[in-house]
Amino acid sequence: MAETIEALERRIDELRVAVREAVLAGDPALASARRAELKRAEQAWEDALAAVGPQAPASPTQPAEPAGSLLPLREQVYEALSLLQVPAAPKLIATVHEAFFGSTFPTTKVTSLKRDEERSFRTSPFARPYYICAALSVDYLSPSRGLLAVSTWPMERRVIGSLSPRVDFLTAAIRVADAIERIPTPPLTARRLLQRFAASIPGASGEVRDQVNPGVVRMAADAELSVHADADSRMRRQAADRARGQLPDAEQFFGARLQPVTDETGADAE
Amino acid sequence: MNSDQPPGHVEARLDRLRGRALPVNHNARTISALAANPGCARRALMDAAGVDKQKIAAHIGYPAPFGQSRFAITRGNAFEARVKENGAAQLLTLLRDQLDLDVTEVGYTDLGDVGGNLSRELRHVRTRQGLAGQDYAPRTLFDHPLLRLRVGGRHAYLEPDLIALRLDGSFHVIEVKSFPVIDGQADPGSVAAAAIQSAVYVRALRDLVTEAGGDPGRVSHETILVAPRDFASQPVATSLDVRKQLGVLDRQLVRMAKIEALLDPYPQALTFDLDPGDDGTPRRPPEELAAAVALVGASYAPECLTTCELCFACRAEAAGSTGALGKSVREDLGGIEYNAQALALARGQLPSAERAEIAVLLLRAAQLREQLLGAVM
Repeated sequence: MAETIEALERRIDELRVAVREAVLAGDPALASARRAELKRAEQAWEDALAAVGPQAPASPTQPAEPAGSLLPLREQVYEALSLLQVPAAPKLIATVHEAFFGSTFPTTKVTSLKRDEERSFRTSPFARPYYICAALSVDYLSPSRGLLAVSTWPMERRVIGSLSPRVDFLTAAIRVADAIERIPTPPLTARRLLQRFAASIPGASGEVRDQVNPGVVRMAADAELSVHADADSRMRRQAADRARGQLPDAEQFFGARLQPVTDETGADAE
Repeated sequence: MNSDQPPGHVEARLDRLRGRALPVNHNARTISALAANPGCARRALMDAAGVDKQKIAAHIGYPAPFGQSRFAITRGNAFEARVKENGAAQLLTLLRDQLDLDVTEVGYTDLGDVGGNLSRELRHVRTRQGLAGQDYAPRTLFDHPLLRLRVGGRHAYLEPDLIALRLDGSFHVIEVKSFPVIDGQADPGSVAAAAIQSAVYVRALRDLVTEAGGDPGRVSHETILVAPRDFASQPVATSLDVRKQLGVLDRQLVRMAKIEALLDPYPQALTFDLDPGDDGTPRRPPEELAAAVALVGASYAPECLTTCELCFACRAEAAGSTGALGKSVREDLGGIEYNAQALALARGQLPSAERAEIAVLLLRAAQLREQLLGAVM
C-alpha cells in the first residue's frame, strides 16, 4: 500500500477539482487523463480500505445497530422511504422506521450514508439495485438540503420545487394513513406519527383528540393536495426534463454542483 | 465595492482604533444592541471599527459573562427545526389559523445555498432575485435568506430565521424565538429584544428591495413572532409592530454612517489595540488600554448589562451618577448628574438658579420621606 487512506482521500478531492478545472477550461484530453487518474486513485482507496478493515465487510455476528434492526442503515432508510414514496428528511425517515419497522437510528449517521452511496456509485455505477440519493432543487438541480430519495424513483419525484415540500408532506401523510390501515393493531408510535401529520392538515384532526382516523386524514390531505398538485407536477416535470437532458448519471442522482461564478444574471432561476 | 467604503482616511483611523485584530462581524444581535443605547459614543465607535469588545473588557479587568448560553442555542435551534420541518408544516398551520393565510399559499423556498455554494455574496444575490425579482414560481415562505446592512461603512450579513411573503405581495419578517409565551404573556425583555432584531431585518429587507428597484413600503413593519406556547413546544404566532424600533435603528445607522464626525474629537493616535503576542495573549498594559477606553465617553444605563460586553467597565466608571440607576431615576431627579448632588440638594443645600425648581421638589420629597419613615420608626 503506497499511500494511506487519508492521503488517498485528499488526492481524490484534488483530482476532482482538477477534473472540474479541465472540463471548465474546455480541454477534453486533459480532462479524460485526469479522470482516469481519479479512477485509479478511487480504486486504490477501495483496495486500501479493504486491506485495513477486514472486519468491515460481512460480520453477521456483530450487528451494526446495537438496538433494533439487524439491517444495514441504507436498507432501513430504503424501507422507510419506500413506505413514504417521497423524498424526506432524516428525522422523518427515522420516525417512520421506528413507527412501522420497530427500530430507529441516529439521524446523524444518515449524512455520511449519502456520501458513501455517492462514492460507491461513482466507483462502479449501477452496481447496486438502488442507491439512497439526493433530491434535486428545481432551480439549480443541486442537492436539496437535508432530503433523501431513492435512485429508482422517477426523476419527477426527486426534484423539489417551491410547492413540493407541501405536496410531499401531504403525500407522506396519505402513505402513513394507508400503512396504518393495513396494520390490525397499529403501534402507538405509528398513531402518534399520523397525529402529528394530522395536526398540520386542515380538517384532518377530527373531533376527538388522540383519536385520529386514517380515513379522515387521507381525505383532508387529498383535498389540500388537489389545490397544489397541478402546479407542482408541472414545475417538477419541466425540471425533470432538464435534469435528464443536462446532467450525467451521477449528477442526476446526487445533484449538480454550481461552479463558483459570480455572474449575477447567468445564475437566474429558470 | 470601493464606493461602498468610507473615505480612506476614516477607514485608516478605524483600522488604527482596532489595531491588529480582525474586525468582528456584526449580526442582528449586535446591531440591535447598537440601537438599544444610541447615545453611547464608546459603543458606536468600537462597533464601527469592529473592535472585539469582549477581549477589551477582559483585558481591562471587567470580563463580562457574555454571549448566549449553549443550552439556549441548542433549544432555540431545536425549536426552529421543529417549526420548519416538513415544508414548514407547523408554521403554515399557525399562519393559517392565526393570520388567515390562504390555503394556496404554501410555496417554500430555501435560499440556504446556491447549488451547493455557500458564499455569502452569491447567496445575497440569490436572495435578491428570489425576493425582489419577477418570479413566476409560487413562493410564500423564504427560508435562510441572506440580507445585508451597512453598519458604519461595512456590510454586515444577516440571516433572519424566515421571511414570509404574504397574499398582497408585501413581505413580513417572521422571527422564530425559543422563549415561551405563557398564558399569552412573554418576558417583556425578550420580546423587546426580538422586536428590535426584527426591525434590523425589516431595515435590511427594505434596503434589498430598494436596491432591486422596488418599493421599500412593500416590507411591512408588522413582523410575526413565533415562540413556544406555555411549557410545550407547540408554536404560537403573535404580530409585532416594530415602527418605533425602526426609527431608533435608522437614527443610529445614520449616526454611524457619519463616523467621521464621531471620530473628530479624539486624538489621531487613539487605539484599542491589544498588542497580541504570538500566542494571541494581549501584551498591552491594561492601565494604558483602560485609559484609551476612558477617553471615549460612554453613556451607561442598566440596560447595557444585557447588550454590551463592556457593561461592567462602564458601570464601574458611572458609579455615583444618576444615569447608572436607570433612565427613569435620572428623569425623576430632573437631570441632575450625580447622586451626591441630588442628596445635597435634598438636604437643603442652596441650589444654583437653574436648579431651584428641582431643589424644591427634592427638599419636599426628603421631608415627606422623613415624616413617613420617622412615623414608622
